[in-house]
This record gives sequence, structure tokens and C-alpha cells, in this order.
Amino acid sequence: MMVVIFDRLGYFFHETWISVRRNLTLTFAAILTVAVGAMLVGLGLMARSASSNALGRWQGGVQFEIFLQPTVSGNQIDALGLELRNHPDIERIQFVTQKEAHELLQEILVDEPEVLEEVAPESLPASYRIVPRRTEGELIESLAAQFRQRPGVYSVETGRQQIDAIREWFNSFRWIVLLMSIVLSAASVLLIFNMIRVGMFARRREIEVMKLVGATNSFIRTPFILEGMLHGLAGGIVGAIAAGALRNHVEDLFGKSEILAFFRSFTVSSSQFNTAIFITVILGVVVGAVGSAFAASRFLDV
Amino acid sequence: MIRFEKVTKVYKEVTHALDDVTINIDKGEFVFLVGQSGSGKSTILRLITAEEVPTDGHVHVAGKDLTRISSRRVPYLRRNIGSVFQDFKLLPQKSVYENVAFALEVIGRPKNIINTQVPAILELVGLADKQQNLPNELSGGEQQRVCIARAFVNRPLILLADEPTGNLDPITAQEIMRLLDRINQTGTTVVMATHDQKIVDQMRRRVVALANGKIVRDQQQGVYS
Repeated sequence: MMVVIFDRLGYFFHETWISVRRNLTLTFAAILTVAVGAMLVGLGLMARSASSNALGRWQGGVQFEIFLQPTVSGNQIDALGLELRNHPDIERIQFVTQKEAHELLQEILVDEPEVLEEVAPESLPASYRIVPRRTEGELIESLAAQFRQRPGVYSVETGRQQIDAIREWFNSFRWIVLLMSIVLSAASVLLIFNMIRVGMFARRREIEVMKLVGATNSFIRTPFILEGMLHGLAGGIVGAIAAGALRNHVEDLFGKSEILAFFRSFTVSSSQFNTAIFITVILGVVVGAVGSAFAASRFLDV
Repeated sequence: MIRFEKVTKVYKEVTHALDDVTINIDKGEFVFLVGQSGSGKSTILRLITAEEVPTDGHVHVAGKDLTRISSRRVPYLRRNIGSVFQDFKLLPQKSVYENVAFALEVIGRPKNIINTQVPAILELVGLADKQQNLPNELSGGEQQRVCIARAFVNRPLILLADEPTGNLDPITAQEIMRLLDRINQTGTTVVMATHDQKIVDQMRRRVVALANGKIVRDQQQGVYS
């Protein structure tokens, strides 16, 4: 029995290989299309992980910030600080002096010293950075409102608008990627479908003989479906490699840039990365299997 | 072995390829189907291999009613039937050996059986020394022997031949007939559609004559006309 199985596997792989060689250009086109579609899926999945990671971290430590007027007196600063420290909903606070604010700005504007020159340390507001006990948006909004009218307070900014903007941006990025990958996957299925059809046409004499001597339909189909899956697998792997390379490139970019310091928190953990890569490759195989199975069942009636 | 019961086959609702044909062919018989082109000979062969289904009536082959078996069983039915063609239908890129082995490979026969049966059948058809040749390096008669070897290598119960001598000179045709006769001697039922009057007259086997889809003559040890 084992011998029969090995003979049969040998036969299937041999036939598949012949077919792959015969259609080299079409094979290449199909693999590339699958690769691009799969890559987009991989990127979409990673973007999803990255945005939820980043927003999660940001939200966990949300600091809303109370900026003080430049003319604020020392007493007002102390009074406000005392009130904040004793507030039941506030975990801890950090006072940022005008000098420290200027240093932070220096970090952000490291590439634009001429802009920095225009900004005198005295013109920057000192501020309190607040870490609330809980992170619900409503609580933060109500805290912000409480302190907005205090003497010496210039303005209160929460991270909320920014978070919403970023979340929205990532969401639409994901949707666009998803849509494109659906379109490309459909194109891949059609390409593989056509490739298998051409392959079956090229081998119609063999198929005719096979049917006449009593080969089962599944036996005739298997090499073709394997061929489609092989293309899908190759495309999936290429797509996964491309997605992985792009992820590294983007992380490097975010990691180096001070302006984009915020984006440093947009990282993908290695398990999320592996899942995305795995799904990418599997998607390639599924696309290949669907396209070829469709062709094989369509053009192989008894 | 083969039984047609009131079989009618209509193509495109107009052409009666077969019209109410009833015929019985026993195991081990050698039957010639004769008649003009379009008389229904090929339709009978295609009904036996289940490439066509009858419009009306029943076709029984090897104890199975072909109108009742599922399409999944059709390949297994065909393993009992060998087919020989006027144009040989050999695969040009495969050697003689590979063409014959192919018929066993694709029905999942193990390598060791293939390795013993293929040389044996090539010996039987007289092509033992041409195993590695490609079909286009062979004469028409030799190609037909390969086709017969491929049809018979699985020892089918029935051998169908559609104009097997149609492309061959008279002497080569004689050789092919001797081969089919030997195969028939082993107990295989042979059904052969032909226009070759000389061969039919010489062989003196059962002759079924068709005209316009009907059987007009069924004669033991018959002649062409």
C-alpha cells in the first residue's frame, strides 16, 4: 500500500512540475499577482495589530495636559498642583516647567533648528501632565472641563481628538488595504483559473487517454489542483516576505525619526507578526486551490 | 457481456443515430459492426464506453446497467474496456513503453506490476525491441500495435476497435487482425467497427450491419455485404 501511495505521489509531483515548466510566463504572472494580494493582506493585518497596540498603550497612560498662562504666579501653580494631587480620580501628575517644555520641543524639532530659534523658552507654557486613575474618555473629558476655568490655566488638552484621528486613519487604511486585497485575490483566482485551463488544453490528448483507460476524475484533477496550490503557495510566500520587509522598513523609519516619535509605539509583536505571515501564506494557497479546482471541475466532464 | 435493449440515441432532437436497437453480444465473441459512415457504428461504441448516454432504452455492459450507474463509477467501468482507434491516440512525447505504462499508472497500478506487465504485452504485440522509441519513429502498423498493447495491458473483458485498420496497408492490416484474433482467443470480447470488406470476408465472424441507425443484418460467420 505504501508503495502505491509513493508511486502516486511521485506521479502527481512529476506531472505538476512538467506543467509548471511549460507555462513559465503565465506562472510568473500568477505568482506575482497572488504575492501582491497576499502582501496587502499581511500588511493590513499588521496595521491592525499595530494600531490597536499603539492606541492601547496611549490610552493606558493617557495624560491630559493642563497648560498654564505665561503670567501665572507661583502660588497659583502650587494651589493647582495641590488640588490635582488630592483629586480622587487622579493617579499622579508631572509638572513640566517652561525650560523643560523647551527641551521637549528641541527634541521634536531636532531637524528644524531655524524654527526652534524663533521660540523663546519664556513664550512656552508650563504645564501639568495628568495620569488619571481610570482611562474612560468621559472621565477625562469631565476632568478637563473641571480645570479649564481655574485661574492661571491657559488651556486643557486631551489626547482624545488625536487618538480618534489616528484610529480613523488606521481604520481607513485597513479598509483600503482589505478592498485592494480582495480585488487582487479575485484577479489571482481568475489568473490561476486561466492558467490551469491553458494547461489542461495543452494536455487534452493525455486527459482523453486517461479518461478512456479509466482514470478517475480526481486522479486527473489532482495534478492541476496541486499546480494551482503550488502557485498560490509561492505567491503567498513571496507576499509574506515582502510584507515582512516592508514592516521592518517602516519600523526603522518610525524608530529613527523624532518627529514621528509618536509612531514608535506602532509596533507589531512577533506573535502578531507570525500570525499575519501565516495567514498571508495560507491565503495564497487557498487562492490557488480555488482557482485551479474551479478550472478542473469546469473543464473535466466525464 | 454487452446488451442493448431498445436503444435509441438522438442528437440535437433531429438525427436518429440509433433507432430502437436491440443486440446481445456474449463473452468471448468477435463481432464486426459494418455500415456506411453515419450508420451508427461509432455511436454503439461510444454508448458502450459511457461517453454517450442513450436517449431511450438500456445499455448493459459487464453486468451493469449504464443508465443506472453514477458518473463516479464510469472510470471503473472503463477499466474493463480497452479501446483501439483509427488514429491510435498515442502521446507523442512519450516512448512506446511509457505510452503503455501510462494506462496502468493512471489507474493507480503499483510500479512492480507495471514493470512486469508492460514488457510482457509489448512482447505479445511484437514490439519488445522498440520500447524506447517515440511514436513518430514507428510505422503505422507498429503504432497500432502500441495502441492495442495499451488497450489490452490491463486485461480488459472487452476490446473495442474503431476502424483499427483504416490507416493501414492491406498486409499490415492483416497483421493487426491476427493480433486482435489472438486477443480474442484469450476470452476477450472484441467489437470492431470497420469498412474493410476484405478483412470481414476473410475472418468469417459475426457481422452486424447497420443502416440509418437500425440493425439490418445480424449474421454468424458473416460477410461484409
